[in-house]
Amino acid sequence: MRCKRLYPEEETAGLAVCSRDTIAYRLFHRNEIAFDSFVETQTRHQRVRRHHIWKHSTEQKCQPMSHYYSNEGIGNPAYYESDTLEVDRGFSRGFPHSNPYDAGQGSWHVMGAGVGMGSGGGRGPAEMLPAYSAATVPTPSVGVSRGGWRESWRDSASVLISPVHPSNPPTETPRWQPQQSYTVSMRLLGSRRMSLFPGGAAALDRLGLTEEDIQDEMENEEQDLVKNLVAMSTKDSDTAIRGLPMSFSEKKYIRSQVLAHRSTKQKHQFTCCADCSGQISMFVRRLRAGSGSVRQALALWQGFMKEVSGKFGSGVLSYFLFLKWLLMFNVFSFLVNFGFITIPQLVSGDAFTNTAKFNGLELLTGMGFFNNTIMFYGGYSADVVGQPPNAIYNMQLAYLLTIAVYMVLCGGSLIYSMATSFKSNFVLEGASGGAWTLLCSWDFRVVNERAVRQRKANLAVQLKESLSEKAQQDQLSSSEKLKRVGVHLAIWLLATGLAIGACAAIYFLSAYEQKQIVKGSDAATLLVPFVVSLVNLVVPLIYSLFNKIEHFSNPRMQVYAVIIRNVFLKMSILGILCYYWMNNVAHKPDTCWESSVGQSLYRLVVVDFFFLLLGSFFGEFLSNVIGTTCVPSLGVPEFDIARNVLDLIYSQTLAWISLYFSPLLTVIQIFKFFILFYVKKVSLMHNCQPPRKSGRAAQMQTIFIALLFLPSYVGALSVVAYTVWSLKPSASCGPFRGLRNPFAVVEKWMAVEQDWVVWIYEQVIRSELFFFLISLIVLVLTYFFWQLKEGRRLLIIQLRQRIANEGKDKAFLLEKLQKLQKSNRSSAGKPKTRMNNQRNVSNRQWYAEPGHEEALPDSRPPISESGFGGMRAAIPGSRPPMSESGFGVSESGFGGMRAAVPDMGLNGLRAAVPQSGPPAQLRADPASSTPSGLIQAMLARQQAEQDDDDYDY
Amino acid sequence: MGNKQTIFTDEQLDAYQDCTFFTRKEILRLHGRYHELAPHLVPLDYTNDPDVKVPLPLIVNMPELKENPFRDQIVQAFSEDGLGNLSFNDFVDMFSVLSEMAPRELKAIYAFKVYDFNVDNFICKEDLEKTLNKLTKEDLTPEEVSLVCEKSIEEADLDGDNKLSFADFENMISRAPDFLSTFHIRI
Repeated sequence: MRCKRLYPEEETAGLAVCSRDTIAYRLFHRNEIAFDSFVETQTRHQRVRRHHIWKHSTEQKCQPMSHYYSNEGIGNPAYYESDTLEVDRGFSRGFPHSNPYDAGQGSWHVMGAGVGMGSGGGRGPAEMLPAYSAATVPTPSVGVSRGGWRESWRDSASVLISPVHPSNPPTETPRWQPQQSYTVSMRLLGSRRMSLFPGGAAALDRLGLTEEDIQDEMENEEQDLVKNLVAMSTKDSDTAIRGLPMSFSEKKYIRSQVLAHRSTKQKHQFTCCADCSGQISMFVRRLRAGSGSVRQALALWQGFMKEVSGKFGSGVLSYFLFLKWLLMFNVFSFLVNFGFITIPQLVSGDAFTNTAKFNGLELLTGMGFFNNTIMFYGGYSADVVGQPPNAIYNMQLAYLLTIAVYMVLCGGSLIYSMATSFKSNFVLEGASGGAWTLLCSWDFRVVNERAVRQRKANLAVQLKESLSEKAQQDQLSSSEKLKRVGVHLAIWLLATGLAIGACAAIYFLSAYEQKQIVKGSDAATLLVPFVVSLVNLVVPLIYSLFNKIEHFSNPRMQVYAVIIRNVFLKMSILGILCYYWMNNVAHKPDTCWESSVGQSLYRLVVVDFFFLLLGSFFGEFLSNVIGTTCVPSLGVPEFDIARNVLDLIYSQTLAWISLYFSPLLTVIQIFKFFILFYVKKVSLMHNCQPPRKSGRAAQMQTIFIALLFLPSYVGALSVVAYTVWSLKPSASCGPFRGLRNPFAVVEKWMAVEQDWVVWIYEQVIRSELFFFLISLIVLVLTYFFWQLKEGRRLLIIQLRQRIANEGKDKAFLLEKLQKLQKSNRSSAGKPKTRMNNQRNVSNRQWYAEPGHEEALPDSRPPISESGFGGMRAAIPGSRPPMSESGFGVSESGFGGMRAAVPDMGLNGLRAAVPQSGPPAQLRADPASSTPSGLIQAMLARQQAEQDDDDYDY
Repeated sequence: MGNKQTIFTDEQLDAYQDCTFFTRKEILRLHGRYHELAPHLVPLDYTNDPDVKVPLPLIVNMPELKENPFRDQIVQAFSEDGLGNLSFNDFVDMFSVLSEMAPRELKAIYAFKVYDFNVDNFICKEDLEKTLNKLTKEDLTPEEVSLVCEKSIEEADLDGDNKLSFADFENMISRAPDFLSTFHIRI
């Protein structure tokens, strides 16, 4: 177990990476200064570790890796040897491919350490050898860097794969386990490549290491891994394995190990139950998978969704997803209403006694024939279904509670989706600008050739615009700014005026309509819905004309302004209608006023549907025709996502309001959305072109959900709640006839109910104290979380600042290093000729590597190599948590350089080191890294290198 | 699957299910697609893990990838042998990472790999220029390209080394919520 304290690579990388093979351990023996600095670094790592522990606050997490960090290692020669093992790791990554381990897997198998080795068996080291050398020698840089890349994955993996529940406070719960297992498994993967090296045995001998030591190490690591994965629940470990950034065969290997371990563990515990529980777990897994497939099969319009995203990208797709989501809401609403309200009503046999003749117009107006049907409130009776002693179904309660429960479920689902959407889309301020456009905005879903071409052209235009815009913005004079503000103000006033005017018109029209109904003309009732829908169609078009006059500095502001105006318009129209119904219609107790409100809503829903169809005809088909034939300058229209989504939100608000007045209106709504889906699909495919400005689809979707919640759902809920709480139901019809208000049903029910229900009702629902306490607690919690949020925000700013400082530190050290090298060269200046030649070769290769030429332009061998190591020694310790993965990445480049050095005797040996240490210990506070100590270390290393040269030759 | 021919054993399917974001049915469908790519190469029977690889030119011809400007890079990123040939496992891996269910971190790793053309573990200016040229059909003048790239690096580079490390890239992605939905290929 001599190499038990192998340093994980991040640390060793910092200390010894750049010196060559055997240098490092002699370095520490020979050079006092270096030793001091080493100890210093060592203690720093201790601090780092503590920092890390603090960060996760879980002993559990640190326990398995703790042997890596203990201080005892300093006195142990193997410790330094292990450092040297790390030295030229780059070579071991020499596979020209991202995934070097599966070859190692084979050899692993040969060594007999694997448990339940699944795949890759049989490919032993000998077999790997030719490919290995062939790949590495002729094209070192390519092969190495690919491998190095992979390496860096593992370095950073535990950072990248954040814990499953990042928002949880750090406690000693198994929730943190996933992350731990990632770390461990990463290390294991490193060790699995151990016997890759060709001449490994000889190299090991030279260092006094045997394969047994390494094997021990491997076994330890494997045990750690298995322990951790087994400790997790099946679901957690599955998720953990799935999220590992490695190839399938590796994941499968890890999985097979975990499964094997789990089953043996079970056998140890309960031999008799093991079989049974194994089968059960297998069954549960299959069941879960099966339910997944069923869910997929049920998912509507899969193929079409793919087609849309392939042709139009994620933005347009989000409209259809939204439509589908709303459709689901309505289907659920229908099932609930039909099941708990309509079926009992039908069963009770108290069916409608309808005498009116059906003449077709009813389909539009909902009057006449439909008057007393179960479609509307008036069609329901107040009876108790069944004989009182045994079967009792209280229609009044059912009606009220069904609607209440549906509303609550809807609200919960809306809040949930809104919160998750906000969480993922508005966590940090949105990135924008060139980097984002280049790297994040391309939609990989788009597969249509024309769409791709168009997208490319749009992107070019967008980039050109952004270049010119920036130049333009700087020279905007104050008078021009003032003018812009004036234009904004005027347009806002105009928009608001339009909305208010429309509202007033609708109010008076409604009063007029009421008179017409009294006169008995059914067709006149269609006037209000017609005007409402017309306003909804035309005014948004006027609003979109404003875009031509207004100039927003930010295109997103423009979109938001349009959305706000439209929402204001639609909601104020609905508000005025509701006001009219509640104020005027509801105070006519002689008629069945709930039904007549229901009929008004019915008309609104139906007419709105026709206007939606018209909207797609005018908005898309006609403008396509005009754009392609008459006025080519207009071009093919784009699919206006915002307008269409707002239309949907409006329709859904209507459906929610009508829940109380017309329980079965959701049927119409379902048909409406279903047909709309296909109409929009056809219209989209034939008339539209992909949107010019891409991106921000996720944020827009969040905003739409928020809009659906805030004015729409909350508005509908308050209308229904007001009706239930305060309005007197009509005396002649409906389930609540004869009551003071519909809510009185609950009070009536309480009078006959058992004690505990009454107690809850009295103490919770009717108690002011309860609500007072609840609100107090909620307020305190809100304040607390707000403070927490502020704290996190500050932390983010600080961390970002720290990254920037790191960059400066790096530059500073680099500069210092160069100075040192110059002074060193002038003083020492007698390098070994042969060595020098070789070094030259290696350095040339290194310089040839892209991305590094500018790093150290004037440093020359032999010092540059070790010098770089010294510099890098400074880096790992002082990296802030956020950038450690970055460090992992940057490191591998040097791996390439090292691998290119031809005289490496210990190439194979390097592969023997478990290379992926837990990156966590990189977390250090920059304050603790003292540059002077590090520079001493560099000097020492250079010295040692020269000594080494003497020793060799 | 049982009625016609066994493509995978149950154990294999379980392994695929546990290690990727796909269900059994999707795995079978993926196999179908994979088989379609090279019917003469890929056997229908996968119960004994045949060592078959489909070369890159055939894979990038899939309709899902055909028009993607980064198709070669994507395939390269998932290729076990580094030459762009994909075994069925690699193929499944690729679409698993590109699927809807894959976590952001996993996607970010591979996206970085896709954009890192010269495989130096940094997205440097050269990579960005290549990306830009692939994205814009080379519509922009070289000066514009260079300007855009410089500005991009300036914006996203946190540690001031004039290239984007993975940390920079991840930081940027964490602020771009669309990334999750756009780095997604529906199969």
